[in-house]
Amino acid sequence: MSVRLNPDLRNELVQYGIGDWNACYHCGTCTAMCPLSEEGFLFPRKKIRLMQMGLGDQLEASVEPWLCYYCGDCTTTCPRDANPGELMMSLRRFMTSRYDWTGLSKKFYTSEVWELAWIIFFAILVVLSFVIVLPSFGFHYTSELTADGGVKVNSFAPIRIIETFDWAMAIIVATLLMSNILRMYYAIIWKHTNTKVSLWVHIRELWLLIYNFMVQPKFSKCDSKGYWVSHWFLMSGYTIMFIVIVVFLPWFQTEEILPVYDPQRLLGYYATFGLLFGLFIAIVGRVKKKEVKFQFSHISDWLFLAMLTLTVITGILIHIFRINGMPMATYISYIAHMAILVPMILIEVPFSKWSHLAYRPFAVYIAQLKKNAVPR
Amino acid sequence: MEEPRIGVYVCWCGTNIAKMVDVEQVADEVSKLPHVTISKTYKYMCSDPGQELIIKDIRGHKLNRVVVAACSPRIHELTFRKAVEKAGINPYLFEMANIREQNSWVHTDRTEATSKALDLVVAAIRRVQYHEPLQKRSVNVDPATLVLGGGIAGMAAALEIANAGKQVYLVEKTDRLGGQVAKFDLTFPYLSSARQLIQPFIQRTENHPNIDLFLNTEIKEVTGYIGNFKSKVETAENGTIELNFGNIIVAVGLKPFNPTVISEYGYGQFPDVITSLEFEEMLSNGHLLTKYGKEPRNIAIIHCVGSRNKKYHEYCSRVCCMAALKFVHEIRACLSSANIFEIYADMRAYGKGHEEFYALTTHKQIIFLMYDQQESLPVIRQANRNDNCNMIIEMDEKLSGESIEVPVDMVVLMVNMEAHENVKEVVRAVGVSLCGNQFFIEKHPKLDPVATTTGGVFIVGSCQGPKDIPDSVAQARAAAARILASIAQGSVAVEVTTASVIEHLCCGCQTCIRVCPYDAISYNEEKQASEINEVLCKGCGTCGSACPAGAILSKHFTDTQILAEITGIMSMSYKGA
Ligand SMILES: Cc1cc2nc3c(=O)[nH]c(=O)nc-3n(C[C@H](O)[C@H](O)[C@H](O)COP(=O)(O)OP(=O)(O)OC[C@H]3O[C@@H](n4cnc5c(N)ncnc54)[C@H](O)[C@@H]3O)c2cc1C
Ligand code: SF4
Ligand code: SF4
Ligand code: SF4
Ligand code: SF4
Ligand code: SF4
Repeated sequence: MSVRLNPDLRNELVQYGIGDWNACYHCGTCTAMCPLSEEGFLFPRKKIRLMQMGLGDQLEASVEPWLCYYCGDCTTTCPRDANPGELMMSLRRFMTSRYDWTGLSKKFYTSEVWELAWIIFFAILVVLSFVIVLPSFGFHYTSELTADGGVKVNSFAPIRIIETFDWAMAIIVATLLMSNILRMYYAIIWKHTNTKVSLWVHIRELWLLIYNFMVQPKFSKCDSKGYWVSHWFLMSGYTIMFIVIVVFLPWFQTEEILPVYDPQRLLGYYATFGLLFGLFIAIVGRVKKKEVKFQFSHISDWLFLAMLTLTVITGILIHIFRINGMPMATYISYIAHMAILVPMILIEVPFSKWSHLAYRPFAVYIAQLKKNAVPR
Repeated sequence: MEEPRIGVYVCWCGTNIAKMVDVEQVADEVSKLPHVTISKTYKYMCSDPGQELIIKDIRGHKLNRVVVAACSPRIHELTFRKAVEKAGINPYLFEMANIREQNSWVHTDRTEATSKALDLVVAAIRRVQYHEPLQKRSVNVDPATLVLGGGIAGMAAALEIANAGKQVYLVEKTDRLGGQVAKFDLTFPYLSSARQLIQPFIQRTENHPNIDLFLNTEIKEVTGYIGNFKSKVETAENGTIELNFGNIIVAVGLKPFNPTVISEYGYGQFPDVITSLEFEEMLSNGHLLTKYGKEPRNIAIIHCVGSRNKKYHEYCSRVCCMAALKFVHEIRACLSSANIFEIYADMRAYGKGHEEFYALTTHKQIIFLMYDQQESLPVIRQANRNDNCNMIIEMDEKLSGESIEVPVDMVVLMVNMEAHENVKEVVRAVGVSLCGNQFFIEKHPKLDPVATTTGGVFIVGSCQGPKDIPDSVAQARAAAARILASIAQGSVAVEVTTASVIEHLCCGCQTCIRVCPYDAISYNEEKQASEINEVLCKGCGTCGSACPAGAILSKHFTDTQILAEITGIMSMSYKGA
């Protein structure tokens, strides 16, 4: 069956960060150099070809861009400076917006104004909730301190309400992500009517999901500078924080000042350290631009780093102000923290750069399914 | 005949020969043969001391024949001929035995190789006894030159010669000068204007006092030989006039292949499928429109049309890849948002500035699509109403492995450049040959690319093989330099080892006339015998072996000489110790 070229697609692709899409002359050096490309999943050259030809559906049905962990080996060896590594990165942005059925992802990736406007909108909603909505239900700022001199956080940020809100937010985000992942699965596996994958294979390979999420073996395979370590710290810090905040908020957001060695504080410190360390490496990398993977920063890369950094910093501030009994400072930091965290979770996680935390492990799983596909 | 006094010189060629052939033994053995006055070996016979050795011996020992056993005569026959001439004997009283290429280099058994070397040397000794002195000959050169073809190559050559003050007759088949280049808008790789390139050339050619221009003219027949050719041309004003000239430059160029035969492309059936040359004209006229008078939104350029394909022509036309990239720039200049598809088989950017030109073109927002000549050609079909385009190209895209459909409104076919239909007439008229692709054959593909095996006939420009403007002009000027050199000398040396007919033996069968590849033989009705024009004869020997009456004497290859050589080879049954 022939497919129709869509020359206009390149104009769209350019918005996802694809620069000189025609520099590649298909020598194949990149594919030969790539430590992750393998029989059946050859990239990046072939994907570049699909991009040049504007074959959007074929691109959508490719799992390969997610199997690339951006070591940059291809870019350093490309004889034509076609920058295949960044082309793969841009493809991931494109695919994220293709999987997203709401169309918001595309909007966010292709229009900075849109993305910023929504972030600000959510931030304002958060601020208004704290300043107007919650006080009208009787939760408001108080300068009273607890018996051991801490700030009474729960009086202006009631655990129950915040927890319910967190859960709601998590459910929305998870639903969005899962539905998009289903679309990814549909495009890559289901749409191929000439092959099928048995249910047993689906179950058998599920462990890959968890293993890849936790360990990211592919990342370590395409990494010579130890970025896997900083990324792992970042990822684990983030995951711990997320779980603690959504699932265990009542245990985490306490008014009482626990001893330093208490698991609650230790866990919080670890997660904070992981996040800070990972962020520091990534920001320094992007500023210095020494590594190929950090040379080209799309606006979405910076937004994500900036928001996460601000979230962490405001989180730290809340903690410091709270245990030192500074109610106003705590109150303001809390609002700021939420005003950054909420849009970050609602926009970045399902629609933008953050979504890779779901797509990547699923891609490995889906690739494994593809390997086990049999002719129908 | 005076008593032969032969000097034999066996060369070591460093270790090249000495390693496999016992040269001392060979020299020793032949010294015993009759008429061998002296026989020696030396490390490098062709070196100055080696040649000195021979010259001294000729003088000292009154030698009148010389045999050198060394490398191939192709390499050093001339060297040694000159040496013996220097010593005062006729250069043809010399013979060479090849004991390197035909012996030491190809054998592995030293004893056998030595024995074979001996056989070869003895054969040469036997032969040289029958050699006769031959005299060098030369003919005067008429200072006028005939140029066939008024394209860029023909004009470049004509102007070069005319500027040196010599007469040129320029014969052009059509009614105007300029050839293909006159049809172009811009030229690759620097996108300079073709008009600015060709117009001054045309004007200078037309106005040059030393150039006689014959438009709408074709030459049917050329007689004569190097330095002294003759031909007749028809002119409107003066009727038939006869031209005399000493040299000929063939610059008849090539013509575009007719793509109608490639059914996949539907040329002739779809009005918006056009050839590269039609597109050039469209660009020169400044209207880039489809046959429906609309601006094309999608333009495909298909490479290698009729080229590099066993069904049509196997060779590469060499200029079309770059011409196709040139079109991209021209299209972009007037249609900034059109989609341009380069449908190619291989991108050939071989020349100066070409790779850079290719790299530059990739930035022009084009889509390269590769097809595999061996597998299948793209196929053009009419589009449907809802396709939103004029035609659809279906093809297997090689680099993605996908079968794709390309929407197009106009297709440019980069057609092959092939020989003119009447090229055989030109070939017959000037007496040169064509290769399998119908390009004129040069004398030597690397060392003599503008001369032909026919003295005084030169080939320049694309008729020698597809090429771009710089290469065409370079060849033209090179040929002009060669011709000017021969005119300056006033005479040229001609072949000495020609054939001649022994009249009383000739039975008049005219077999020789039919076989001679250089048209050197004619029949003399009066004498009832064939006659060989020694100026035209190249001494190929074909007639001599074909003549049933044994009436042809091939100088330096007489029956006696050849038989003596054969007897020599057979005479020694030397089996080494
Ligand atoms: C589409 C296309 C685009 C090109 N673009 C470029 C470019 O941008 N840059 C570049 O460098 N090269 C380009 N070329 C190559 C260029 O056309 C050739 O290099 C050039 O034409 C060669 O010149 P020529 O004089 O050998 O032959 P021609 O241009 O073919 O001229 C031959 C002349 O001989 C005449 N003739 C033919 N037969 C006879 C006969 N029997 N008797 C007398 N006269 C005869 C013809 O009428 C013609 O006038 C292009 C070629 C093509 C096909
Ligand atoms: S991206 Fe570079 S290395 Fe890869 S095929 Fe293209 S030109 Fe070659
Ligand atoms: S960046 Fe690394 S993993 Fe990604 S395609 Fe290039 S070589 Fe492969
Ligand atoms: S120059 Fe290019 S288009 Fe022309 S025949 Fe050769 S490969 Fe084909
Ligand atoms: S082939 Fe011999 S016999 Fe016949 S015409 Fe020629 S020279 Fe005479
Ligand atoms: S030797 Fe060759 S070139 Fe000369 S007349 Fe005979 S056939 Fe012709």
